[in-house]
Amino acid sequence: MNSIRKNKKAIILFTAPALLLYTLVVIYPIIQTFWRSFYKWDGLSTPKFINIRNYTRIFSDHDFYISLVNGLKFSLVLVVYQIGLGAFIAFTLFRLKAGKARFFRNSFFVPVVLSTTVVCQLWLSILNGHYGLLNQVFKVLGINYAQDWLSSSSTAIWVLAFVNAWQFMGYHMVLIYTAVKAIPEHFFEAAAIDGATSLQTHLRITFPLLAETFKICLIFAVTGGLKAFEQMAVMTGGGPGTSTFTLTYFMYRAAFRLNEYGYACTSATILVIECLIFTIIINRFVARERIVY
Amino acid sequence: MRSAIFRCKTGIGKTAVNVFLTFYLVISVYPLIWMLMYSFKDNSEIFVTNPFGFPKTIRWENYVRAWTEFDVVTFFLNSVFTTVITIIATILLSLMFSYAIARLEWKFSGFAKLYISIGLFVPVQIILLPLVILAKELHFANTRLSLIIPYIAFELPVSSMIFYGFLRSIPNELEEAAALDGANVYRTFFSIILPMVKPAIATVATFIFLFAWNEFTMAYIMISNNKLKTLPVGLLSFQGQFATDWGAMGAALVIYSIPTILVYVFFSEQIEKSLTAGSALK
Repeated sequence: MNSIRKNKKAIILFTAPALLLYTLVVIYPIIQTFWRSFYKWDGLSTPKFINIRNYTRIFSDHDFYISLVNGLKFSLVLVVYQIGLGAFIAFTLFRLKAGKARFFRNSFFVPVVLSTTVVCQLWLSILNGHYGLLNQVFKVLGINYAQDWLSSSSTAIWVLAFVNAWQFMGYHMVLIYTAVKAIPEHFFEAAAIDGATSLQTHLRITFPLLAETFKICLIFAVTGGLKAFEQMAVMTGGGPGTSTFTLTYFMYRAAFRLNEYGYACTSATILVIECLIFTIIINRFVARERIVY
Repeated sequence: MRSAIFRCKTGIGKTAVNVFLTFYLVISVYPLIWMLMYSFKDNSEIFVTNPFGFPKTIRWENYVRAWTEFDVVTFFLNSVFTTVITIIATILLSLMFSYAIARLEWKFSGFAKLYISIGLFVPVQIILLPLVILAKELHFANTRLSLIIPYIAFELPVSSMIFYGFLRSIPNELEEAAALDGANVYRTFFSIILPMVKPAIATVATFIFLFAWNEFTMAYIMISNNKLKTLPVGLLSFQGQFATDWGAMGAALVIYSIPTILVYVFFSEQIEKSLTAGSALK
């Protein structure tokens, strides 16, 4: 038996392919990104070490601050829409009969499995300034509110964030729904025996027991917003102007439009540090203890 | 009892909930139905005569146009190829790896597990730029491998951790019995372990399918050759061509979505399970 478990050749054979590939394609590039963020480099010629000048430059770059603020706006919309609405719907589903609850749950989940490109293209046609569904609805309702939704530099970012939130709300809803379902029945029974009202039960039982799930949702929504890219790439190309830039789009433009590879690595590094900081903060303040039933 | 806690005492609350859920159902699902309907319409029907309702005549020619005049068929096959290879290779590599860290005894197995689980938290943005250079240096830039290799590596941590959890729950006696029968480690792995992890393989396969079929960012940056583009990026090249042909664009979007919708219709529980399993690891 021991010979099977300690077969060195087998261990190497089983682990080497995965470890090599993972190291080469995931770990090595992470180190490269950090390292190259201190270089002036176009991706082709010899990189030149320029110390922290990429960092001093990025912190005085106007577009960088637009990207930073847009990331936060995006996160805000995702948190409110996906977690707020997701939790509300997940809770209301428990009031319905099983079949009806399943119908609503499955319907709200459909956009999650679709490709982001499909959803973005769909919303491009919904938001189209001339023939879009939304403007047609306003016309039918007799409301004079028709407009080209993505051409205003002050609102475009909110619209893009909405499209992302719309698509993935169902994901958060299912996470929360599953977590509520996992709470053991006797918790609720005990509360009922003690004569707790449903508000008390929620405050004392449901919410505390869901804290860990909310933490995961919060991390997903916040970091998802900071990293946002696909909506910009498909729907606005960062425009109008640079008004819908996020850090990932900033990085994309620096590397592939302006050929400033080192500078792009700098923005990628800052993005990851930003995500890390938010993850640590959320971990620090939400659900510090793991709950095991 | 649980439902009693979440239930409203009054009838008004009940109606309000129903109205709200139906209202959100329209916001959530009608756009998708609208897309399906306009994929069968011509421009005048979409724009003027019948923007909201069922198509007056079903125009299959939109689908024929999307399939033949534009490269939907090429993109579709590229997506199928990339997805299938990614699923098979990731499952094979991560199953072998997690077998070694979950059930074999060696000094660094704890470290190896920790090392691979770092990958759960790595956003694609931090590896993307060096990956482009790496693909050039190793001469797989602009080949099918330039997507398949990163996809496999990127999905290894999640699938390894799902398999790890599953493999730890299998009792040791099984392998001991196999060893008594004279089976070596490879026979044990292939004929005892592999059949036992089938449910976990299904979970991981759906997870990777959704990832690889829908992945946009890497596909957008790694592939510039039109012949090799997968659907999410290929569709973007229609934006210009289809700007005036909404019906065909809608048809292309529907064609792209059919596989995921089918998988969801038949395995909805499985999909929700595998996506939540992925989140539980983090």
